[in-house]
Amino acid sequence: MPSNNPLPELGDPDLRSPRSYLRWLIGRQSRTLFLGVFWGCLWMASMGLTPFAIGRAIDAVSDKDTGRLWTWTGAIIGLALVTTVGSVLRHRCDTIGRLKANYLTFRLVASHATRLGATLSKRVSTGEVVAIGTADITRIGALPGALARGIGSAVTVVLVAVVLLSTSVTLGLLVLIGVPALLMGTGPLLSPLHKRIGNYRDLQGDLTSRAGDIVSGLRVLRGIGGEATFGERYRKDSQRVRQAGVHVAKIESVLPAAEVLLPGIFVVAVVWFGARQTIGGDLTAGDLVAAYGYAAFLMLPMRTATSAVQSFVGADVASKRVVGVLSLEPEPTGDTAPPVVSEAPDLYDATSGLRVHPGVMTAIAAATPEEGAEIAERLGRYAEGRVTVGGVPLETLPLDQVRDLVLVARNDDFLFSGVLAEDLGGRSDQVRAQALHDANAEDIVEALPDGLDTVVSEGGASFSGGQQQRLRLARALAAQPPVLVLVDPTSAVDAHTESVIAERLHTSRSERTTVVVTNSPLLLDRADEVAFVEDGKVVMTGTHRELVSGSSQYAAVVMREEA
Amino acid sequence: MSLPVADAKTVRRHVRGLVRSHTGLLTRTVLWFVLATACGLVVPALLGELVEQVEKGVTTTRVDVTVLVIAGLLILQGVFTRTARLEGARLGELVLADIREGFIRRVLTLPLHTVEKAGGGDLLTRSTRDVDSLSRAVRMGAPSILVAGLSVALTLVALAVTSPLMVLPCLVAVPVIVWSTRWYLKRARDAYLAEAASYSDLTQGLNETVSGARTVESLRRSGPRVRRTDAHVERANRAERRTLFLRSVWFPLMDFGYILPVAATLLFGGLFYIEGWVSLGEVTAATLYTRAVIDPLDELLGWLDELQVGDASLARLIGVESAVEPERTTDRRPADDRLTAEGIAYGYRPGHDVLKDVSLSTGAGERVAVVGPSGAGKSTLARILTGIHGPRTGSVTLGGVPVHEMPLEELRRHVALVTQEHHVFLGSVRDNVALAAPDATDAEVTAALTAVAADAWVQALPDGIDTELGTEETPVSPAQAQQLALARLVLADPHTLVLDEATSLLDPRAARDLERSLAGVLRGRTVIAIAHRLHTAYDADRVVVMEDGRITEQGPHAELVSAHGTYAGLWESWHGRGPST
Repeated sequence: MPSNNPLPELGDPDLRSPRSYLRWLIGRQSRTLFLGVFWGCLWMASMGLTPFAIGRAIDAVSDKDTGRLWTWTGAIIGLALVTTVGSVLRHRCDTIGRLKANYLTFRLVASHATRLGATLSKRVSTGEVVAIGTADITRIGALPGALARGIGSAVTVVLVAVVLLSTSVTLGLLVLIGVPALLMGTGPLLSPLHKRIGNYRDLQGDLTSRAGDIVSGLRVLRGIGGEATFGERYRKDSQRVRQAGVHVAKIESVLPAAEVLLPGIFVVAVVWFGARQTIGGDLTAGDLVAAYGYAAFLMLPMRTATSAVQSFVGADVASKRVVGVLSLEPEPTGDTAPPVVSEAPDLYDATSGLRVHPGVMTAIAAATPEEGAEIAERLGRYAEGRVTVGGVPLETLPLDQVRDLVLVARNDDFLFSGVLAEDLGGRSDQVRAQALHDANAEDIVEALPDGLDTVVSEGGASFSGGQQQRLRLARALAAQPPVLVLVDPTSAVDAHTESVIAERLHTSRSERTTVVVTNSPLLLDRADEVAFVEDGKVVMTGTHRELVSGSSQYAAVVMREEA
Repeated sequence: MSLPVADAKTVRRHVRGLVRSHTGLLTRTVLWFVLATACGLVVPALLGELVEQVEKGVTTTRVDVTVLVIAGLLILQGVFTRTARLEGARLGELVLADIREGFIRRVLTLPLHTVEKAGGGDLLTRSTRDVDSLSRAVRMGAPSILVAGLSVALTLVALAVTSPLMVLPCLVAVPVIVWSTRWYLKRARDAYLAEAASYSDLTQGLNETVSGARTVESLRRSGPRVRRTDAHVERANRAERRTLFLRSVWFPLMDFGYILPVAATLLFGGLFYIEGWVSLGEVTAATLYTRAVIDPLDELLGWLDELQVGDASLARLIGVESAVEPERTTDRRPADDRLTAEGIAYGYRPGHDVLKDVSLSTGAGERVAVVGPSGAGKSTLARILTGIHGPRTGSVTLGGVPVHEMPLEELRRHVALVTQEHHVFLGSVRDNVALAAPDATDAEVTAALTAVAADAWVQALPDGIDTELGTEETPVSPAQAQQLALARLVLADPHTLVLDEATSLLDPRAARDLERSLAGVLRGRTVIAIAHRLHTAYDADRVVVMEDGRITEQGPHAELVSAHGTYAGLWESWHGRGPST
């Protein structure tokens, strides 16, 4: 049996076209495929020989020869055993081939998604990628088995043809030409089927997105009502999928009919031809029965081949989507050799004129929140900009190094499901515990049934907004990046918690470079330096107190006055 | 924590219901299949006759006529098969649409905490992978089972008619087939359910990786994400290996069971013939019939396997039903617009109450601000007040009627909740704003957008309020999403509103401006606003301070500030003036 390591090396898929990806995938499991073909041939050939043994047994009965009857009955059972073994081993190869193709594709997509990172959500919707991970891998997984069965069928057809040729050249030729002609007979159906299935898949993808949308927005709906509206919208989309399904079936239903009709007509043709020859005296009645038996048997490889063709179509459509996602490239990255950057580098953003001094906490107070967020995006190279870090232009650095150097933490950062400690990360338990303390988040963990080992749900859904924000902050602090850029880290917490965080944040980040985008007077007051941004430019710098007394615009933006 | 899965009995009841609601189409489909099968059974008989004719020696014309009849029957069989398949597909698509729409209907009435605990991936897998495998079972399995079942039954009838004695040798296979099939079916259901569950995890993991793609990049989490995918793949692989094992036992036994009757028929038939009990023709016919039964029987039993997969999926789809709350049926109508909570306690886990004995009553048109440290139970209070959860003890009533007993549709006409969650739905601006008031006119939608100061940016969109949102061309910022949420509320126009940090994502100044303009639009409405920004409290008629699941202080802003309690402390530190700890 082929080995079944579910986690082989991912390798380097051939993404030039959907077909070439499928070829690459198949090439990765040539051994499994080879074994599958081998057992498939054995399975089918032993079935093909069974009519022969039955014929001999019937002869023995008609001759009333008990000894030969036992012999041929034994032969039938022997062939049955070979069929049985061939069948189950072929099925095992099919299944393992399916799993290999499934898992390899799934892991490629999942790991590519992590590599694309922020680029991914800009290019494709979540529903689309999830559809690949569910429906499309199933279709691609069907390919190895279909291929093995298809090849097994072809080989068996050739074998039967050889047997037939040795009986009668004309009959043999009829079979040899007839079977491929029959297969081609279904060809014209496939192109429109392909198109309709593609359309059906697209609509189904939309429906999946709609379902995902409803599931994600369920809490919003629950608060304001509108469940009925959404149920109705889903129903409409679902009905469109239903109509597309019927549209597909209009062509698809012709295939099983063709499966009955074409081989049937073929058998009739063989028998008709044989019968006329027999009457002419060119063939014996025994040859005719044999020819009938073989032609009738050919139904099986034919049917197998037809379903294999259906699988190819499905896999091709699915592969197109997979290749589409796998071909997405991360945004271009620099390749300067990593410069020696200190533990606490300085930063300069030429667009806004913001200068961040090393090892201190700089706060950005902006007249509108967008201006501050834009600077943060540039500092993390999520947006184009002219930023230097330790004197080196950010865009010349490899992206990996930028990510190691600068962490931009925002409120839309995702909290992952699973054991909380894993999501929080941190080099050691101690670093993590300190980060939780600094984010004033210890009480959240204490209230959990298993503390840090508690399995939490997706998106931090079981936590309140303020709790989520503190956990996000703790996670960012635990990462201990040389440069930490926090965007509105306390916007969802109460004043008391905010003042505790402001105090601890400063201590926690001493000796490292920290940028906080905020309009909270509590945080601004704790910053070593405050840059006031208006119209995207730094217009003033100084301490919070200096700016409050020096600029009425600044005071108006940050002070929480009563009226 | 996964969502529930329906038991076998519930699934059967559900299937019976589906059959009943599509009797007409089902009957037509069966009829076409019967015709197709009948044509199919006549063809081999005629072929056999042809072979016999040739052996006896007949004219070419006779051969030609027989061949033409056979060809005609084959064409008929092809046409009937096509029609039957198409009707079957129509039926299948109808049934599938029924099931998935019913599924979403149930999802829409699921209690929130159930969904939150299970995570979105479980629901997503159910609505995709399970719908898909069910689709296979329904679209292809059901017709095949019909055809195969009919073929098996009719062929066995033919065998019994030809020679009743020759039925006996077939019986040797019955114990093998019955025993192994029972062995398999007993284990298969659980194994396939486990397999489906393992794929749920796989999907959920991918869903999170994609939803959190930016976070994965910024926090350098691709390693752990990849390892997690791999762990899920390993688990799915183990589940698949288990079902493969079951099939590896069952399939060979079945294959062997099929050929056993053929061998037995030949052997015993031969012996019977030698004894003179049956004719040679009967032995031959019986052998051909036992062989003819193999294919359809195999298809029939093979689909049992697929049916199990479909059954497992169906169980997961309709299993959601058991998590649905009992329908809220009270037909009592609120006597007035007063929302009152009395002695409510609530916890998400037994023994861990988040709210402990909270009482709060509001006067019509009153503006109440709820403040307190994060984790004090403010959001839970909002959910209980708006009837999303029923309280564990105590009661929340609207005009004397318990809110969690009122049908949601009715309740939302009176009380609505807007949280800080900023989900933008797939669809246009109008779809997003008018979801609770689908009949709203353009003018009403625009007015609602104006009330939340969102008119400017919406008008700047390429198609105004008809612009599709949630696509890459028109990203919506969290602050804009929050404006949309509030516009939704204005349009829904309930008399009591609970706002849980509904403006927290706007910048403070804009938030305050928005709150004030909202206050104008919402004049006369009762507003309970949960906020960490104390402007909201300052502007409110009454401030309620919550700490550790209890209300510790309440009163007007000025009164609380001069009382020098918790609120006064909060107010001081909010201005950066207080003694910081």
